[in-house]
Amino acid sequence: MKDTENMAPAMATGVVTRQVEVNGVAVTYHEAGQANTDTAPIVLVHGTSGSTMGHFGFLFPLLAVRHRVISLDLTNPLKGGEKLELEDLEAQVLGVIAETSPTRPVTLLGYSLGAVITASIAAKKPDLIGNLVLLTGWIKTDMMMTLFNRTWHALRKADSPQLDDFTVYAAFGAPFLGSKTFEDMAGGAAMPLDEFVDAQMEMNARIDISELVPQIKATTLIIGCTHDQMVPIHHSRALFGMIDDARYAELASGHAVVFERPAEVVRLVDRFAADPQEYVAGATIPVVKP
Amino acid sequence: MTQQKNIHDTSIIIVGAGFGGLGMAMRLKQEGIDDFVILERAEDVGGAWRDNTYPGVACDVPSHLYSFSYMPKADWSRVFSPGGEIWDYLRDCAQKSGLVPHIHFGAELTKAEWDAEASRWMVETPLGVWRAQYLITATGVLADAHLPDIPGVESFTGDAFHSARWDHSVSIEGKRVGIVGSGASALQILPEMAKTAGEVVMFQRSAPYVVPRPDRAYSEAEKRSFARLPETMDALRSEIFWTGEYMFAQRRAVPTFVAEARDLALGHLAAQVPDEELRKKLTPDYEIGCKRVLIANNYYPAFNQDNVTLETSALASVEGGTAVAVSGNSYDVDVLVFATGFEAPEPPVAHVVHGKDGVKLADQWDQGMQAYDSTAVPGFPNMFMVLGPNTGLGHHTMVFMIEAQVDYILGALDHAKNNKYEVIEATPEAEASYLDGIEARAAGTVWLDGGCKFWYRDPRSDRLTVLWPDFAYAFRDENGTFHPEGYTGTPAAIPAE
Repeated sequence: MKDTENMAPAMATGVVTRQVEVNGVAVTYHEAGQANTDTAPIVLVHGTSGSTMGHFGFLFPLLAVRHRVISLDLTNPLKGGEKLELEDLEAQVLGVIAETSPTRPVTLLGYSLGAVITASIAAKKPDLIGNLVLLTGWIKTDMMMTLFNRTWHALRKADSPQLDDFTVYAAFGAPFLGSKTFEDMAGGAAMPLDEFVDAQMEMNARIDISELVPQIKATTLIIGCTHDQMVPIHHSRALFGMIDDARYAELASGHAVVFERPAEVVRLVDRFAADPQEYVAGATIPVVKP
Repeated sequence: MTQQKNIHDTSIIIVGAGFGGLGMAMRLKQEGIDDFVILERAEDVGGAWRDNTYPGVACDVPSHLYSFSYMPKADWSRVFSPGGEIWDYLRDCAQKSGLVPHIHFGAELTKAEWDAEASRWMVETPLGVWRAQYLITATGVLADAHLPDIPGVESFTGDAFHSARWDHSVSIEGKRVGIVGSGASALQILPEMAKTAGEVVMFQRSAPYVVPRPDRAYSEAEKRSFARLPETMDALRSEIFWTGEYMFAQRRAVPTFVAEARDLALGHLAAQVPDEELRKKLTPDYEIGCKRVLIANNYYPAFNQDNVTLETSALASVEGGTAVAVSGNSYDVDVLVFATGFEAPEPPVAHVVHGKDGVKLADQWDQGMQAYDSTAVPGFPNMFMVLGPNTGLGHHTMVFMIEAQVDYILGALDHAKNNKYEVIEATPEAEASYLDGIEARAAGTVWLDGGCKFWYRDPRSDRLTVLWPDFAYAFRDENGTFHPEGYTGTPAAIPAE
């Protein structure tokens, strides 16, 4: 549980990092893994306050063992004053896809806010997105999320030292935190903060893609987390109900599943990317019982 | 096969009554299969947990995962239970599952031979000969003690024994004890010796990486809660399992996770050993994960005791009562403990099993052991191996692997029965393609690329023959169900009228 951004070693062997310009902003993306003729490349889109290293430090290199993986670092597109819109971030994802897989539909994975971005793209650009993975995504910000969001903004505005506690409290599942000490969680469990994060959090309060989600035609894997207190599990269940070609897995984790159960996510995504039709539409994928 | 008067007929012979053999037999019972025997060379069940009774013996995997999913135990005493408790658990498993009448003790497999004409395995033991359609070996990976060939060891005037054959009649109190080795067993033995022995010297050929052991006792309330709400035990088991899988990222040589693991281990060393000189001697000179990462809280502190000496070279020779290190340093000792590990490049069972045309398994494996799906060997029909080649894990529990293989073998038995096959045999093509897959997985792991020589690799071919170089879940996903496409099947000959 470390802030991997501040760590010296590279996040994977053989990783190539480049930039592409989107609407006047340089967007960084990373590529690793062998191009595979059998399966589509995987494109990863992180969540609020994240980055490739911050959210996909485990998924990116481990998925790259068997797949070509591309992951971008969402970048602040705002010049000052205006509000962030979903389309701003969608454009960055589309820019990276155009640069890295211009002719071949990809397997697009989004985590948290990244799942909202990728669901929206999949609805609007069905030709580009062959398969879709929505990890702790949501459709419309609800009461519980609004309460979190308001409190977050209040603590942030007050520059409160409790902001970290509050974020950790909501991000991790109760069973996970129940087995940890403050020492275990020290140094990096809290979200990095800046103006871009403020803008993402402001946008998160306004999310509503309920018109778009039913249009998604991609072969979709939905992964929800039972102990999620940031984006409660009913959102993933709602996505499962709303998308035609969807299969569903539910993990015993909190919202921070990329830290709590990253290997379990790798297993689901690795298998889905290799054979998206392994489970039929409507299927609930059984979890491993060790 | 020579004529034997006393041939016992059965359907399935399981060799070994440790975790592997018992796990196999428990599932046979659950499936309603009763016609089998377990041949065990010793006088009790328990395998490694029966043999390893050295002071301080314990498991490095939390007990709620290091146990059968089909025999959960709510009252494990600790997160990491002592070895004796695990041995008791295995005895319990044998009792509760009704396996005891199936077990023949003192029945060491001295020769197993495939009788092609009869399509039967003939298994010789000191108790007689067993004949069966199927042979399942579960003889263990860490079962046969490895004793290094030390010049002059026969001249030793004190007591000497291997850690897995601990001589409890020898008193340690006030004695001068030499511990040879610095692996998993030595690590647990040293703190115990330091408590009672007069002087202890440890011969360390290469320093291990050691990380903290998050151990504690379970309270009575916790144990009762597990018993009353078994689903909480399942949730804990899953939690431990996925925490273990997280460790695979460092074996996969992902730099951030290698660094995280190295920091954890070296931080543990720094916190426990204030003396810089000593700390240097205890710092490994190879990448973490190459060898087994060990877990202990009481190992490093033992070196801070006045009666403990660290010798940073291997034991070279013994002269009477003196143990001489490669460095030239010599130590007078009363007791020598060989914590030198186990025969691993190939199991001794390979030297007594003969397949088609009398081919000895060890000869077929002269470039290293290999098997289709880590379970079946071409030329050895109707034989399956529990914990065979490429089933070892550098980061996780063997019980998970055993359960996966047991399911696979049950699928094989079902397949033969449903298709009325007398004989099934893995094809060489299927084995070759499986091995290609193993090689592909192994590339980019610390075991092949970490710059470390170790028993995970076969010295003859330099191939990874012991380890499964992937997540543990991937083994079960791929080898937890039988693959009929890799086998030929031969129906029973119809007797002439």
